[in-house]
Amino acid sequence: MFPRPIQKSPPWLQASYKVLLPIALIIWLLPLIGIAVTSVRPSSDLAAGNYFGWPTRFAGVENYTAVFQNSNIGWYILNSFKVTIPTVIGAVGLSCLTGFALAVYKFRFNLAVFFMFVAGNFVPFQILAIPVRDLTLKLGLYDSITGLVLFHVAFQTGFCTLFMRNFIKALPFALIESARVEGVSEWKIFRHIVLPLMRPAIAALSVLIFTFVWNDYFWATIMAQSADVRPVTAGMNELKGQWKVAWELITAASIVAALPPVAMFFLMQKHFIAGLTLGATKG
Amino acid sequence: MAEVTLRAITKSFGDVKIIKGVDLQIADGEFCVFVGPSGCGKSTLLRMIAGLEDITSGSLSIGGKEMADVEPADRGVAMVFQSYALYPHMTVKDNISFGLRMTGHKQADIAPRLTRAAEMLQLTHLLDRKPSQLSGGQRQRVAIGRAIVREPGVFLFDEPLSNLDAALRVQMRTEIGKLHADLGATMIYVTHDQVEAMTMADKIVVLNGGVIEQVGSPLELYHRPRNLFVAGFIGSPKMNFIPGTAAPAADGKIAVTLKDGTQLTLDGRGAKLSSGQPVTLGIRPEHLAPGQDGLKATVKLAEYLGSETMFYAALADGSEIAVKADGLAKAAIGSALSIGLNPAACHLFNADGVAIIHGDLTR
Amino acid sequence: MATHRSSRWSQRRLAPWLFLAPGALLFLLYVIIPIGQSIWISFYDWDGLGAAKWIGLRNYIDLLDDDSFYTSLKNNVWWLVLYLLAIPAGLAIALFLNQTVTGIRLYKSLFFFPFVISQVVVGLIFSWFYAPDFGLLPRILGFFTGSETAILADERYATFGIIAAGLWPQIAYCMILYLTGLNNINPEQVEAARMDNAKGFAMLWHIVIPQLRPATFIALVVTVIGALRSFDLVSIMTAGGPYGSTRVLSYFMYEQSLSEYGTAMGYGAAIAVVLFAIMLVFISLFITRMLMQERNG
Repeated sequence: MFPRPIQKSPPWLQASYKVLLPIALIIWLLPLIGIAVTSVRPSSDLAAGNYFGWPTRFAGVENYTAVFQNSNIGWYILNSFKVTIPTVIGAVGLSCLTGFALAVYKFRFNLAVFFMFVAGNFVPFQILAIPVRDLTLKLGLYDSITGLVLFHVAFQTGFCTLFMRNFIKALPFALIESARVEGVSEWKIFRHIVLPLMRPAIAALSVLIFTFVWNDYFWATIMAQSADVRPVTAGMNELKGQWKVAWELITAASIVAALPPVAMFFLMQKHFIAGLTLGATKG
Repeated sequence: MAEVTLRAITKSFGDVKIIKGVDLQIADGEFCVFVGPSGCGKSTLLRMIAGLEDITSGSLSIGGKEMADVEPADRGVAMVFQSYALYPHMTVKDNISFGLRMTGHKQADIAPRLTRAAEMLQLTHLLDRKPSQLSGGQRQRVAIGRAIVREPGVFLFDEPLSNLDAALRVQMRTEIGKLHADLGATMIYVTHDQVEAMTMADKIVVLNGGVIEQVGSPLELYHRPRNLFVAGFIGSPKMNFIPGTAAPAADGKIAVTLKDGTQLTLDGRGAKLSSGQPVTLGIRPEHLAPGQDGLKATVKLAEYLGSETMFYAALADGSEIAVKADGLAKAAIGSALSIGLNPAACHLFNADGVAIIHGDLTR
Repeated sequence: MATHRSSRWSQRRLAPWLFLAPGALLFLLYVIIPIGQSIWISFYDWDGLGAAKWIGLRNYIDLLDDDSFYTSLKNNVWWLVLYLLAIPAGLAIALFLNQTVTGIRLYKSLFFFPFVISQVVVGLIFSWFYAPDFGLLPRILGFFTGSETAILADERYATFGIIAAGLWPQIAYCMILYLTGLNNINPEQVEAARMDNAKGFAMLWHIVIPQLRPATFIALVVTVIGALRSFDLVSIMTAGGPYGSTRVLSYFMYEQSLSEYGTAMGYGAAIAVVLFAIMLVFISLFITRMLMQERNG
């Protein structure tokens, strides 16, 4: 309702709005369009100084092939999946339990525990870094997928708990009371009543956590050393150093690295936005 | 046997006392309605009987057993929630049988109960639907069905009809009444709608501010309200209250002088009162006779409902009075209206609001 | 009967703790306890391998004498202040896009796009965008001013260049928050205000923005946290350079303790504690507000 629907404006304004939309979008995405175009440019174009003109020929296939042949990026992407997927399962799974506990039961330290999760979720990574790396070393999990996953699960449980608890709190409490009057055990209430109703929250959180963890760079840098553990974000930094000015390769690799979360976003857009904006409408 | 006994029950949330000492006896098989304005504590009282709220002090027994430490599920009660609390992801069948399945009942035991409840509530053709595919009345029946299959001694209803439209409400009222007759179980029913209370109850409990104002059958409350609150709450349209003074008169009668100067003589019925004490006269609109000698009033508003006509008039001192007249009665706004007043229908309340004389026409 | 009764009762008492245990223990182990450990380490001189030596407040005193610390702190303030621009900018784009014309959904998604991409990629994109000789921005600037500037190589501009890169996804985030908020505005209130002759900016200021408060609060939280967490872009785009001019506290800490040559665990921990203390101010504000909501709701 606000601003006033453009359909109610004079025709010239409607027309200019429709012209302005794509122009604004192009300006907004200019950096992205730039690298997309560069990634299909032959390297001869760059050498000849043709940075902005139409590519002399489409070199997408050779550039992207080169990216996979000249680097470990395939491995890195596989590593990212190996870190991200178990993290999503772990963090979302654990937070279904914690969220249920905090939303349904009244007990003495309920709010204290809840705000422990919320506050922990906001802290700077650097204050955790030294002890977490130490702990991981002591567990013998340094430079391993498991070590990264364990930390990510623990940390993301904070945000997930906030999300799940608020989601369950918004369900009608009479559903739970009604089951209690019927003598249903607490676990069965969770399993048969609350969990099925949490599906949208689980979907939303899964896409969000996937994106967050996939895009993590800091922990990938300090917890992984070897190529068979390093996720793609950390890998990209290495490739940047390795290729220096071969921008057609760097840009192509960037696009490859960005692709999985982007695909996730477009496939699960509704859930993604619902998750990100939880709380943006009430409170 | 599932009689319910409450003794000196209180409930506090922090420093706030919601229930301030309730004693109540509900007989086995009785249909008992808790009625009162919002915030009177009626729902809290019901939830305490269900075991969903702890009892702060006092004792509660169901079927002669003390219930303080008994879990809701073990009390032999079933509850129908205001919101119905249907599980949105389950079919009607699963909703109704869920509690039985979760508490380890055998399929052979569940099936006949389900069939019986579904037939009783005409839900048989809806068993495979989800709640979102049902109308309001159907959802309501599913919620009741969920209670029935548990075969409880006591049914608890928490404002179950408040989400339905008027026509459906009337229909469900009779259906619940029929169910009560069929099952013979004890039912405790919370509502803020006094019409619902009057039509369904064997026994009405009028609650206000966390205490019981009066307990009795519907007609008892209508004819013999114990105080101003009950007199004003039960009956629609509301009873008229006219301030005045009273004094003893000859032959055990009582002389009442209303604020506008009208003099009346009522049958004393043994009531004791001091001369000139302030009183409130109560009379129901349906017990007034417009066009006969009595109170002198001016018509302020007339509502022609067809079956009856309501006049809202003002006495000389400005006090307002509602009169229920025949559907053919007519009076122009601003015209004078003489209102006849049957002394036998007059209630008299003292300055504390307690009834001194009941205008009980049944005796 | 009695045992049955008490078992149910204790089930209800015990249940929340059983549900909480796995998540809460892991969170304690990896998040809460390490905060305390970091504070503890900040009082030691420790290279991460050998024995640690208690030096009290020495690390903090050294920080006060360290120019890099002041540079980082100053840059953090810039980040914080400039990052807040993402909120009005996000609102502006949201207002621009809050129409129902054909294809608007796709436009909204594409405007949101930058947020989905990893900061590493955003950093690379902007490095390319800023690159001297062939980057798009120097070309554009060169066209207007006649001289091309290598933004990331210039001490004066480098930090702002990085912040601009960070704003790109952050604006997208704020935009999506506001689009959702706008979607949930009470249309009757807007209509009532129209009857009261509120228009344009007056409508926005008096009617719309107050209703967007929940969205604004979340936008503020994520923007402040995002600004103080800035690490990825600095690391990717300049690695703190040129001459350490783009360091922020998080990157400075990384250099000291975590990077290939960083072995000053105690010193790094002290930097982290300072950053944590700054964040704590904001975290406390946010938590207080959320707590108040919790009490009222």
